[in-house]
Amino acid sequence: MEPHRDEQLAADLRALRPTPHPEFAAELDRRAAAGFPRRSRLPRPSFALPWRPSRRLLLPAGGFAVVAIAIAGVLIATHESEQEPTGGSVLGFLNAETPAEDTPAPTAAEEATGPVESSGEAAGSDGAGVMFAPESAIAKGSARHRAVERSAEMTLGADPEDVADDAAKVFAAVHANRGIVLQSSVEEGSAGEAGANFELLIPSRKLGDALADFSAIGEVRSRQETTADITAPTVTTTELLRESGARIDSLLGQLEEAETESEREAVEAELRQERRHRTRLRSDLHNLHQRANMSGVSLRIETGASEDSSGGGAWGIDDALGDAGHVLAVAAAVAVISLAILAPIALVGLLAWLTHRAWVRRQRRRVLG
Amino acid sequence: MEQTLVAEAKDAPREADLAFDRLYRSSRDDVYAYVAGLLRDSAAAEEVTAAAFERAYRKRKRFDPKRGEPRAWLFGIARNAALDELRRRGRQAELTAEPADLGEASTPVGAEHDERRLAVSAALGHLTTAERELVALKFFAGLANAEIAQVLRISESNAGTKLHRAMNKLREACDGAA
Repeated sequence: MEPHRDEQLAADLRALRPTPHPEFAAELDRRAAAGFPRRSRLPRPSFALPWRPSRRLLLPAGGFAVVAIAIAGVLIATHESEQEPTGGSVLGFLNAETPAEDTPAPTAAEEATGPVESSGEAAGSDGAGVMFAPESAIAKGSARHRAVERSAEMTLGADPEDVADDAAKVFAAVHANRGIVLQSSVEEGSAGEAGANFELLIPSRKLGDALADFSAIGEVRSRQETTADITAPTVTTTELLRESGARIDSLLGQLEEAETESEREAVEAELRQERRHRTRLRSDLHNLHQRANMSGVSLRIETGASEDSSGGGAWGIDDALGDAGHVLAVAAAVAVISLAILAPIALVGLLAWLTHRAWVRRQRRRVLG
Repeated sequence: MEQTLVAEAKDAPREADLAFDRLYRSSRDDVYAYVAGLLRDSAAAEEVTAAAFERAYRKRKRFDPKRGEPRAWLFGIARNAALDELRRRGRQAELTAEPADLGEASTPVGAEHDERRLAVSAALGHLTTAERELVALKFFAGLANAEIAQVLRISESNAGTKLHRAMNKLREACDGAA
C-alpha cells in the first residue's frame, strides 16, 4: 500500500464519515417536527445540577422575592422607628409626623372594664368627668396598656383683622371637642403686633380632631406634638394605693380588737396617717389620669410674616420639595435595605454559578485531555 | 443565509421555528457524524445528537447572531453534550467503528480502498480525543476552519495549525501501519 497523501487521506476520512441509521434519522425528524418534546434518554452528567428551574419560573420567583424582601425591610425599619420615637431610623419621620391622632393610646383607667364604684375610698371621678375604675382593674390594665401623656403646640398665621374671628373659632373648636380653655389672650393691632395665645386642655381622645379643627382655622405655620409615657408612675401609684387600702383594712381590724384605750388611740393615729397617705396617693393617681386623659395644647395665632417660612402660603414649593425629599428618602431606604439583603445572596449565587461553570469547563477540558 | 434567517427569528417566534427547522435539516447528519466520530459509539452518538438538538431547540431564541454562525453555535452545543457524555462514562472514546457505518459510508468498492480505510480507521485510534475532534469537525461534519475555530473558541490560524498537526500524526500512523 502506498504512503498516504493529503488528498487521499482527506478522501478516505470523508468516506469514513459516520451516517445515522435511517430509523434514527426518521425518529429525529419526527421529534423535530413535534418541537422536540422532552424525552432525552441521555442521563445528565454527574456534575450537572439535579434540577434547573425554568426561566419562566425564575422571573416571577425573583420578583416575588424582591418584593417580599422590600416589604420585610420596610416593616423592620418601621418597627425599629416605633421602638425609637426620637427618629433613629431613616423612616422614623413616617411615625413622627403621623401620630395616632384618631386612636389615642388608651390610658390605664380608660381600659379598665370593671364596674365603677360610686362609693367608698377606692373609687372617684376626675374634674373632666372621667370615671375611675377599681384599682385592681387599673393595675391589670396598666400591665397591658400604656398610659401616655400627650401635648401639642401649634402656631397659626392670620391677617390682623381676622385675629378676633379666628380666636372665636378656636373657642368654638375647644367647646366642640369638650376641651377646656385654661388661659387665653387676644391682642389686636397691626401685622406683627396682633395675635392670640391659648393654653388649652383637650381630651386625649379628641386631640386629633381638635388639632384638625385648629388647622382649618388658618394657615398652619408650625405644629408639634410630644408624648411622654407615664405608665410606670401610674402603675406604681396604683399599687401603693392598693397596699394602702389593705393597710387601712388591717388597721380597722386591729381597732376592733383593741382592748385598751391606749391601744385604740395608737391604732387610730396610725389609721389617720394612713388615710392621709391614701388621700395623697389618690390625688397623685388622679393627676396622672388627668395627664393621660387630657392633653395640653398651646395654640398661638400670629400675624405678619412667618419666622420659619420666607414664602408664606399654605403649601408652597418648599413644602413640595420637602415632601419629595421625604419620598426619595423612603425609596432610598427601601432600596438600600433590599440591596443589603439581596446583594450578598446574589453574590453567593453568582460565585456558585461561576464556580460550577468553571468546574464543568475544566471537566470537559480534561476529557479532551 | 442561515445567520440572516436566525437573526430574523428574534423578531418573530414563528420565524425562529422555521429558521431552526432549516438549521436542523442542513446539519442533522453533520452533527451526528461529528458526535459519532468523537464518541466512536453509534448508539451513544444517537442519544447525544438527539439531546444536542433538543438543547439547541430550547435555546433557539437566545441565539445571538453577533456571536457567531448558527452552525457553529449548534456544534458548540453538540460538543458540550458529547464531552459531558464522555465525562459521564469516565473513559475515552474507543476506536470501535461499527462495520455497518463503514459499509454505508464507503462509496468506492475495492480491496485496496477497504484496506486503506481500515488503516485510516485504525490510525484514528492513535489520535487524542482533541485531535480526533478536529478531524471529525473537518472531515465528518464538513466544517471550514473558521467554523471549527468558532466551535472550539480558538483563532482560525490556531485551528488550522492544530488540524495540520493532527493530520500529520494521522498520516504517520497510517504509514506506520502500512
